[in-house]
Amino acid sequence: MEDYHKPDQQTVQALRNIANRLRINSIKATTAAGSGHPTSCCSVAEIMSVLFFNTMKFRPDDPKNPNNDRFILSKGHAAPVLFSVWMEIGYLKESELMSMCQVDSMLEGHPTPKQQFVDVATGSLGQGLGVACGMAYTAKYFDKSSYRVYCLLGDGEMSEGAVWEAMAFASYYQLDNLLAILDVNRLGQSDPAPLQHHVEKYQRRCEAFGWHAIIVDGHSVEELCKALSQPRHQPIAIIAKTIKGKGIPVAEDKMGWHGKVLSKDIAESVTRELQSRILSCSKRMYPASPIEDAPPVSLRNVRMPSAPNYKPGEKIATCKAYGVALAKLGRYNERLVAMDVDTKNFTFSEIFKNEHPNRFIECFSAEQNMVSVATGCAARDRNIVFASGLATFFSRAYDQLRMAAISESNIILCGSHCGLSAGEFGPAHMGLEDVAIFRALQTSTIFYPSDGVSTEKAVELAANTKGLCYIRTIRPETSIIYNSNEDLHVGQLKVVYQSKDDHVTVIAAGLTLHEALAAAEQLKKERIHIRVIDPFTVKPLDAKTIIDHVRATRGRVITVEDHYYEGGLGDAVCSAIVNETSFTLQRLAVAHVPRSGKMSELLKIYAIDRDSITQTVRKMLSSSANAK
Amino acid sequence: MSYHKPDEKTLQGLKDIANKLRILSIKQTCASNSGHPTSCCSAAELMSVLFFHTMRYKAKDPRNPCNDRFILSKGHAAPILYAAWAEAGYIKESDLLNLRKIDSDLEGHPTPKLAFVDVATGSLGQGLGASCGMAYTGKYLDKSSYRVYCMLGDGECSEGSVWEAMAFASYYKLDNLVAILDVNRLGQSEAAPLQHNMNTYKERCEAFGFNTYVVDGHDVEELCKALWMAEQFKGKPTAIVAKTFKGKGLKGIEDQDNWHGKPMPKDRAEELIQDIKSQIQSPNKHIHPQAPTEDAAAVDATPVHLLKAPEYKLGDKISTRKAYGVALKKMGDASTRVVALDGDTKNSTFADIFKKAHPDRFIECFIAEQNMVSVAIGCATRDRTIPFASTFSAFLARAYDHIRMAAISQSNVNLVGSHCGVSIGEDGPSQMALEDLAMFRAIPTCTVFYPSDGVSTERAVELAANTKGVCFIRTSRPDTAVIYDPKEKFEVGRAKVVRKSDDDKVTVIGAGVTLHEALAAHEQLAKEGVNIRVIDPFTIKPLDAETIVASARATGGRVITVEDHYKEGGLGEAVLAAVGEEPSIVVQRLAVSHVPRSGQPQELLDMFGISAKSIVAAVKRTFAN
Ligand SMILES: Cc1ncc(C[n+]2csc(CCOP(=O)(O)OP(=O)(O)O)c2C)c(N)n1
Ligand SMILES: Cc1ncc(C[n+]2csc(CCOP(=O)(O)OP(=O)(O)O)c2C)c(N)n1
Repeated sequence: MEDYHKPDQQTVQALRNIANRLRINSIKATTAAGSGHPTSCCSVAEIMSVLFFNTMKFRPDDPKNPNNDRFILSKGHAAPVLFSVWMEIGYLKESELMSMCQVDSMLEGHPTPKQQFVDVATGSLGQGLGVACGMAYTAKYFDKSSYRVYCLLGDGEMSEGAVWEAMAFASYYQLDNLLAILDVNRLGQSDPAPLQHHVEKYQRRCEAFGWHAIIVDGHSVEELCKALSQPRHQPIAIIAKTIKGKGIPVAEDKMGWHGKVLSKDIAESVTRELQSRILSCSKRMYPASPIEDAPPVSLRNVRMPSAPNYKPGEKIATCKAYGVALAKLGRYNERLVAMDVDTKNFTFSEIFKNEHPNRFIECFSAEQNMVSVATGCAARDRNIVFASGLATFFSRAYDQLRMAAISESNIILCGSHCGLSAGEFGPAHMGLEDVAIFRALQTSTIFYPSDGVSTEKAVELAANTKGLCYIRTIRPETSIIYNSNEDLHVGQLKVVYQSKDDHVTVIAAGLTLHEALAAAEQLKKERIHIRVIDPFTVKPLDAKTIIDHVRATRGRVITVEDHYYEGGLGDAVCSAIVNETSFTLQRLAVAHVPRSGKMSELLKIYAIDRDSITQTVRKMLSSSANAK
Repeated sequence: MSYHKPDEKTLQGLKDIANKLRILSIKQTCASNSGHPTSCCSAAELMSVLFFHTMRYKAKDPRNPCNDRFILSKGHAAPILYAAWAEAGYIKESDLLNLRKIDSDLEGHPTPKLAFVDVATGSLGQGLGASCGMAYTGKYLDKSSYRVYCMLGDGECSEGSVWEAMAFASYYKLDNLVAILDVNRLGQSEAAPLQHNMNTYKERCEAFGFNTYVVDGHDVEELCKALWMAEQFKGKPTAIVAKTFKGKGLKGIEDQDNWHGKPMPKDRAEELIQDIKSQIQSPNKHIHPQAPTEDAAAVDATPVHLLKAPEYKLGDKISTRKAYGVALKKMGDASTRVVALDGDTKNSTFADIFKKAHPDRFIECFIAEQNMVSVAIGCATRDRTIPFASTFSAFLARAYDHIRMAAISQSNVNLVGSHCGVSIGEDGPSQMALEDLAMFRAIPTCTVFYPSDGVSTERAVELAANTKGVCFIRTSRPDTAVIYDPKEKFEVGRAKVVRKSDDDKVTVIGAGVTLHEALAAHEQLAKEGVNIRVIDPFTIKPLDAETIVASARATGGRVITVEDHYKEGGLGEAVLAAVGEEPSIVVQRLAVSHVPRSGQPQELLDMFGISAKSIVAAVKRTFAN
């Protein structure tokens, strides 16, 4: 390492001073708030000081600048030290820091994007590194720019498998612009972390996962400066041996202090002591400016170049239509990227990959990490991201999705093989709770297209919709029911079958919409007319129009869904019509854990097929006739 | 002890069995016209040696507690598992051809409908965690000699939960556990990331604390030896990293892309089978597995009850999370089968009260929620224990796929989530569970308890211990008053009417902190001369529709639900589903309607419209119309 220049003594002292000021402010802020994790802040004071004032390049007045180096505080509970850094930089005022956690403050208990300098919310441990991978991948392969990505993790946090998914991803894709710092302060929340202070074990694990791992004393500014300026040929892990609560004598390296704030008295005496360690120093530290080489990007107004190319009656599975649509949309939008979890031949994202190999990221069997990588790629509006997998396996990443909502992330997820359409694979592969979990995400839009045309529209609309979009697709082929110029919008249902004199409204989507159409044909022969509605988006649901149609069918409505009863289309419709006291609702959904079998047999057994619909309609009509 | 190489006849016998298993796997998947024969063929020698040389079990009694356990984590290779049990004589070979049929228990992926399956697999990366639970139980709770074998795919090793389990196994020195990695190079849609880089697998396993052997996975002798050495090795779990070829033995298909999940083409199957058959020397020779050591006690599965009634007085203040810890400790006093697990949050969930009293039955799982749930599921298999696993409810979202699989596994695991809702205050949205009820309601076998005071929490814990299926208990952070007499009886699916008069105007349903807000609203409204009926559902699933409908009718069809949860999938929607088919009931729902923020608990309850203030306003609104 010939070209490493040791920082001069003034710089070293200045960085030490900053570290102690970060300690002081973290302690003050948490004591003022009466809540927070001062000891988790104190172990990283030198790390934060060196990173922000010696290593990273960024514009302090413009935290969202695309050229800036990125920083992710994966151990989000150390938020006060991050806020203290931005105060030290001059971006936050002391009064702001001291009102942290108040109900009208921008500064919350854990980082959220309410703060300009936060790209993604953290606080659920083990998610930051995956996001950092998405950013580093974007920098290296999409932006081809020089900004770098830094991620700070706790040692307790290293028990999360998601961290190791990200470790494997980073080395596989040789993300030499990514640097992780492990704050090995020995302790977790309620016990020591499993590897205690065995830094060499962390090193071995990191190396086995393909990283260059450097052990340092995490309280030595000099060692940190040196390690952080190592040349980079692969992702680097700085394994920093630290003391939890460093600088707080009563708490240093002690159990029982995690997440405890100092009393006013202790805080004052500790602050005084720390203050005395701050030596006068003429040097002012400024972050270095970034290289301005990130290309401008516009993600607005992403449009399909032409109408869908399907003819009515033609057959295609919506999962395949997804792949076709994605490849097509990608043709005219350089910043549209796709990823998958080794299921691209099921979800048909491989159609996109074949056409745009440079914009496809294979994430292998690691659903949590894929969602985090997606979130990272979408940060600062760098990419429009479509991530696909089997519907049911998004349950594997539900915590990451929950955090993506808190992060105000704009990503699009596509889940294929939903419901009983997985057939012979059996229950482990059937997504029957996916709508429930996506509905409960506050920023979500849920598309449930029923044919090739509406799938293509869903893909286009999703690319232009803020928040989390979920597209639910099915495996079997179904007929095209819409004209290629059909006008489809978020929150607008389609009536796909009707007459002037309908007796019952049936609301269904995907596979069950086609069952409902078959039921309508059958019933028509019996002179029973039903209206069939395709909600297109389950969330938002077109409540008002549903109510109008149900009124037109004398209050009779049936929902049919390839999903469990709880949290799906039926619950959504129920919520929409709850206060229409004259309505009668019947719901058909899957009531138990299903089993393997042919899809058509399963639809029958779980009573969401055409015959079940016709029977339910007949029953409903006869019971209302009886009532009269 | 030194290793004795099996004699040639035995080795040939094992080779023959491997090939028989291959043939049966091909036949099954051809018959069902779906399935994963190439994923079976790579594991044929591994399965043969495990089932007919290494493992000790009673082939006629697969659930015997003394048997060695086998978990097929790469569940899509189910046909070869079925074939092994056919070879062992437990299932009829002819039945194999019903694979994946609607009336056969030989499903696409293994489920416990089959006696030789302890946990359902098929969602990759979950088997090793369950195996850890079984091995932990074997070593520390049963203190028995049965061993646990888990087979994983190489693609599967990309799942983080595998590494959570690896870390757990070495931390707890589970030397009765063997992980077998079938490194057949290929995944589903392309090669697995490490291809045949055996050394990297070895380094990873060793770095995670495993005694590791790299072997040729198609060499039965090497396998016999490595598995024997695994048994001798003390103080660490063993990983057998087996280099194999996907589709091994299938001419023109072996090690080729694009064969994952595809049955052999009809026109080639016969030729392929003949080719394999020709390598079998003694088709009719069977090898019998060795019998297990009979040192696992039979379990006493009688219900477990609290030895003493709850010891709270009306008006005492205690958070339900703390009451959970107290209750669990008492259940631990009542039965040694009760064990507790936590993910480094035991001082927040109060599982540490149990730990202090019963340190030998507490399993610290560190910050790895997926693995914690898997370990709990493993501990619960064969009714060996009654596990309770706790963490912040928000972080159970991390393990939702595992919880989903627990239902398919017919597991009786109990999960406890603390710190629900905005009422946790300052820590902010990342720590607030606001979708957990939606999650657990959508688990078909799940009972959802949402107790509102110390007494009902204690009863919830007692009931959960004796309730089949997945149980979820939702607890809250703030201290709240005890509202039930210690003698009060609680039942699953039975709501409590906690305030009632002859002229109630509205029925208000709340739970946890919002029940207490409803009680405050009741008090305030009573002063103004308005009576409301207040209901505590106790269990959100099953929900006591009868009591709710009756109350609604008694209050003019007017119902208000209040919940510290998002609007979707929670208490409100559960109530709607219950009253949905009843005419003339109008439900107003108060719930959190967007991502919340940090603040003080009471401020947040107000801000999100679920406090007493909001309930009072909502009650008044019902009259306005
Ligand atoms: C997924 C998840 N599980 C559990 C928690 C609760 N929790 C917050 S901090 C913490 C301990 C973290 O220990 P470590 O990573 O070592 O950080 P330190 O505070 O020691 O720096 C835990 C368990 C969480 N925030 N996220
Ligand atoms: C959690 C999860 N994600 C994705 C899948 C879909 N899937 C089934 S098998 C498979 C590939 C498995 O590869 P490997 O583990 O190497 O097993 P092999 O078939 O090669 O033995 C995938 C991705 C799954 N079953 N579970």
